[in-house]
Amino acid sequence: MSAARPLDFDAARADLDATARRSGALLTGVAAADAFDAAPEGRRPGDVLPRARSVFVLGGAQPRAGDWASPNYQHMEVTTTSDRIQTIALKMAHVIEDRYGYYAVCVPPGVDRGQQPFVSIALAAELAGCGSRSLAGPVLHHEYGFMYYAAIVTTLPLPANRPLDAPACPAPECVDMYAEAGTTPCLKACPIEDGGCLGGRIEDARVAERRYDAARCATRVQNYWVPGFQHALKETLKEPDPEKQKMMLFSSLFTRTLWSMTYSNVSQGQCAECMRVCPVGSARRRKQ
Amino acid sequence: MADPEPVQQTRRIKEFALAAGADVVGIADPRRWDEHVPEGCRPDDILPRAASVVVVGTRGPTAGAWRSPDHRVMEVNGYDFRNDAAIHRVADLIEHDYDRYAIQAPGLPTAGHLPPFSMMLAAVLAGLGTRSLAANIILNPKYGLLYYSACITTLELEPDPMLEQDVCPHRMCVESYRRFGKTPCLAACPVEEGGCLDGSIDADGRIDHSYYDRERCVSRAMNFGINSFQKALADIVAEADAERRDTMIHSDFFSRSCSAITHYKESVAQCFECMRVCPIGRAERKLQ
Amino acid sequence: MMSFFFVDPEIYRKYKDEVLALSHAVQVDFQEHLPKDQRHPALSDREIGERLGLDERVVREIRCVAERDKYGVEEFEAAVRFKDRACRDYARRGMSAVMKKYVDKSKDRGSDQSE
Repeated sequence: MSAARPLDFDAARADLDATARRSGALLTGVAAADAFDAAPEGRRPGDVLPRARSVFVLGGAQPRAGDWASPNYQHMEVTTTSDRIQTIALKMAHVIEDRYGYYAVCVPPGVDRGQQPFVSIALAAELAGCGSRSLAGPVLHHEYGFMYYAAIVTTLPLPANRPLDAPACPAPECVDMYAEAGTTPCLKACPIEDGGCLGGRIEDARVAERRYDAARCATRVQNYWVPGFQHALKETLKEPDPEKQKMMLFSSLFTRTLWSMTYSNVSQGQCAECMRVCPVGSARRRKQ
Repeated sequence: MADPEPVQQTRRIKEFALAAGADVVGIADPRRWDEHVPEGCRPDDILPRAASVVVVGTRGPTAGAWRSPDHRVMEVNGYDFRNDAAIHRVADLIEHDYDRYAIQAPGLPTAGHLPPFSMMLAAVLAGLGTRSLAANIILNPKYGLLYYSACITTLELEPDPMLEQDVCPHRMCVESYRRFGKTPCLAACPVEEGGCLDGSIDADGRIDHSYYDRERCVSRAMNFGINSFQKALADIVAEADAERRDTMIHSDFFSRSCSAITHYKESVAQCFECMRVCPIGRAERKLQ
Repeated sequence: MMSFFFVDPEIYRKYKDEVLALSHAVQVDFQEHLPKDQRHPALSDREIGERLGLDERVVREIRCVAERDKYGVEEFEAAVRFKDRACRDYARRGMSAVMKKYVDKSKDRGSDQSE
């Protein structure tokens, strides 16, 4: 009887990359599970899956060029495409288990107790070389720019990538603009000093400082979702006049929060203004 | 001898269901429902002239998700609804290729916790599993816990026999019950310690009594969602002090209840403790 | 005037325990293999109504409210602690996380009997 042939991890990696791309992922990368030192304890891959060796990251499901071209900002609010990348990741977790016999678990895209992520998918994407953190916040890829990510923690020891040597942000155009005007397209779209979320500084063509008002961003990106609902409910319950209270309950805002909550898989990202003006990957958003 | 046409159709539909993502598939004769449920809850009540019920089961969480020491991972990420996708494809095939009516059987609750049609009973009657001591969950001999969907159709198919052998209790559990007075599932959630389960096994190794407090189970298996939202909202509305009301509305508990409603489809099962210790199907969840 | 259909609290209080007991809320001896005289499949709302002399819709409303009412919101808080402990214990100790207590009890009983 011959011994079972040892698994070729390079071939496994190539097969998983190809399968993910065939399933609709735009790019894939792998981060070593022990590379998550920057994450707090309790939110590392080994906390999700004991003996975790790798984090397989998938990127894609970008808004289409036509989505970005729409003059109606509400269009993208109700057609968020992030759900698609998670569907591919759920499938790939089963592929890893069924094809290679190693444990695999998708990192839940939602938040755990205290509204904290289980494992930061953005950090996973960075460590897997899928992109780098931007001045605006999202992880950007040199070629594709903004995209959605999903991550699978697995005991399969896949060959890992390294973080990008050169960050995708700031783009050369932004460096030039900053030198001239002291701002970049994203900072200009949502300036922290003018009631927005973003501030920062560029030095030697690198982001030297970043300021981000997360609470303000939540009012925009989750405009009508759970936080909006909670505020609307709070105000409604304060109203002592039943007639006025009815007007508030039936209002457009209250109704919209309930629509967004029930359709959260396609209506959760509700502000894309900093990304709309980002030059990274913008060539792919131009069509006839 | 069976009519060759239904036999061939049955074989084709079963192969198609498995290729569409089902892990198991079985067929039930609609007349089997008469013995078990009252009028109003039978296949004929959902689709007149129902001739067959096709039932598919899928595994849901990956083996890796079962290994996670963080119970929230499987709660938020447990389920990819492959069974629903597979059953829709089966229904499409029947209507398109065989020109017979075919519908997805309605399994979501329409009044309190009650659905119009029980997927659990359908699985039993299609020979895919038997009811267990653990919350009456239907266990499949190979996989243990599965998620089920059913298609009711006017197409004549060959029914599968119901299982003659009880899947639960496993012989290890019979032994455990005889020696220690508990099976693993009863020990995981014992009614005498504020849990949901109790039961006994007779001298032949069969379940001769079972007890399941579903409402207690709801507090665990549907921990955050519609139930907790309604309960918290009742407390919030009853709170006279506006400041206290505000902190209740923005509390982690209420926020998670709201989030769970918005992601309820993905987060519908939130307790797996009786199944975690169940030996049935464990071999299928053992990987590297 | 009633704004939408709900049951009067007095009717609710009077029937909630009986309705819950006849419904699927507590499931006793559900297994299909059990002898007919031993099985207790739950009743439908219509069947409960016939037994208690109530309209089906009234039974449905009583049942829906009672399902929510049976355990307080504190039970949902406690559930988080229960699952966190159970899941982490199992990850650390495997099956003994649930069985050890009963194994120990059984040993104690054995030593009592041998004395």
